[in-house]
Amino acid sequence: MSTHSTDQKQISKVSPKTSTLVRARGYSAKAAAWLVMILFAVFSIIPMLWLVLAPSKTQVELQRDAPLSFGSFQGYRNAWENLNVFQDGRIVDWIINSIWYTGVQVLVACAVAILAGYALAATRLPFRKTMLIVTLVAMIVPQVAFVLPLFVEISALGLYNTAWAIILPGSFYPFGVFLSYIYFSSTIPAELYDAARIDGSGDWGIFFRVALPLAGGLIGMLAFFSFQVNWINFFLPFVVVSSGDVLTLPVGLGILFSSTPALSPQVGANALPIRAPEIALAGMIVAIPILIVFLASARLLVRGVLAGSVKS
Amino acid sequence: MLRHRAKLVGQINALLMFLPYLVLLVMFAIVPIVMAFQVSIGPSRLSPEGGIGNYMFVFQDFRFLSAVGNVALFLVIYLPAMLIVVAGLSLLLDTIKMKYTLPLRLAYLVPAGISGSVAILVWYFMLEPTYSPFAGIFAEFGITEGVEIFNTSNLVYIFALMAFFTGAGNWIVIQYGSLQSIPDEILEAARMDGANVFQMAFLIKLPLIRKYLVYMLILVFAAGLQIFVEPYLISSSVYPGLAKDWSLNQLSYTLAFLGSNLGAAMALSMVMLLVSVVVALIIIYRTDFFDEARLKVKDKK
Repeated sequence: MSTHSTDQKQISKVSPKTSTLVRARGYSAKAAAWLVMILFAVFSIIPMLWLVLAPSKTQVELQRDAPLSFGSFQGYRNAWENLNVFQDGRIVDWIINSIWYTGVQVLVACAVAILAGYALAATRLPFRKTMLIVTLVAMIVPQVAFVLPLFVEISALGLYNTAWAIILPGSFYPFGVFLSYIYFSSTIPAELYDAARIDGSGDWGIFFRVALPLAGGLIGMLAFFSFQVNWINFFLPFVVVSSGDVLTLPVGLGILFSSTPALSPQVGANALPIRAPEIALAGMIVAIPILIVFLASARLLVRGVLAGSVKS
Repeated sequence: MLRHRAKLVGQINALLMFLPYLVLLVMFAIVPIVMAFQVSIGPSRLSPEGGIGNYMFVFQDFRFLSAVGNVALFLVIYLPAMLIVVAGLSLLLDTIKMKYTLPLRLAYLVPAGISGSVAILVWYFMLEPTYSPFAGIFAEFGITEGVEIFNTSNLVYIFALMAFFTGAGNWIVIQYGSLQSIPDEILEAARMDGANVFQMAFLIKLPLIRKYLVYMLILVFAAGLQIFVEPYLISSSVYPGLAKDWSLNQLSYTLAFLGSNLGAAMALSMVMLLVSVVVALIIIYRTDFFDEARLKVKDKK
């Protein structure tokens, strides 16, 4: 304490001139900090802003007008109608597929992960440690690494080119199991499980009446991550499915790249009315749901995905 | 006797809860690896005897070394950029008062929507001077044609840029979250000791979130190693063949589906998977990330 007060005395002895200097330096440092942060924010927003504005314009307007200008709402309708010319409205199939595949994946992945995480955290599961280590390994290895090996199995099972070839592997969600294991073993106090057990609840009773009602935040986090991964997944559907009517939106977007004049002038400019505004609209349909989910979950991310789950 | 039975029932219930996940784990992680491994050492067109022939074929393929080089250079650019920007901006965000930075944090999350195939789409237009909002900046450097940007020597920077923008923003927000978990007492004590903002950031906060940053780098490395969609789509549309067999996963894909050499493709996939698993085991056993998670299991026993 005494050293602290001497410090203060010393500070007060500093001449007024230097203290203004220090303050001025503080202000300019602060201004520089804000500038850096704002610039990064601007660069973060521009690509998305462009993507949202592009379909409002015609191909000519896109090249002629200011890049971030707005065309008209009619532009979106025209782009949508043109997009539908591709293989008789194939885009609608892709949208529907993406929605229901991702829906099933999120539901199954969350249900499976919650049960497994709870089993690891609060029950007498045999080989718990081995299972936890295997889960950690599977969680760190990126899912893309499994895709080509999966192809061999999917073909052998006769699932090639079916919706299940995408949905089932996408429901395997080791990160979710780990998150829910951490949640059930640290956020919920163990005494709560014990109390329920003493009250005569069985294993399933404790899960449904004690653990599950307290898992709201966990379910939000699990749904967020599994949606994000599955909605945008490219490599898995690309490898295990080949026909247009089973594909998903992100892979469909890739097909539009290579088989329309939008990004491949060599395809022939008159072949299809699909140019930059149309392909931007398709991209926008993929991007907007992710954007909404991310912004809505901003609080979850800040609350510390790592701090909460990988805490030391 | 009764207690023994209760224990058995408990174990059976636990297994039932774990079973759905176990089935998926076996079906979609363990079995594919086993099957792919069998294919990789089985007889193929190039290696009729089986064994390590497919592996040797891959290692000697001229495309393998260049893909390794490309991916390595990509990681050398991408990883430090992520580390510096994510650490820097999350520390800046944390230094400024929280309520003012909400719009900034939301802005940083926006690029997360632009990933995978959408990233190629958007970044193509961002980098093509005819369409780009940054055309003015390109013109300053004398660049007016797309081909001046999209050429072989720039590819690695383009892919690093795409990957960087897709992930940096949400990692900034996540690391900002980690910074929020630093106990106030520690920061207060440092302030009492007369630490200024820079000392607080670099000597107190940075070391405290160091492990989260390392964790991020490891995950980013493991994912970056697998890069596929960006080079694949660029090569199959705007600039045909520009980044053909540029990455390891592209080569693996080419071997499997265009070269009809599934054995070699699986050999390459096995090698890449092995690298990822080794990285995972290092994190688990050589760092203290999951110590608490593992200790909890021990406590129970």
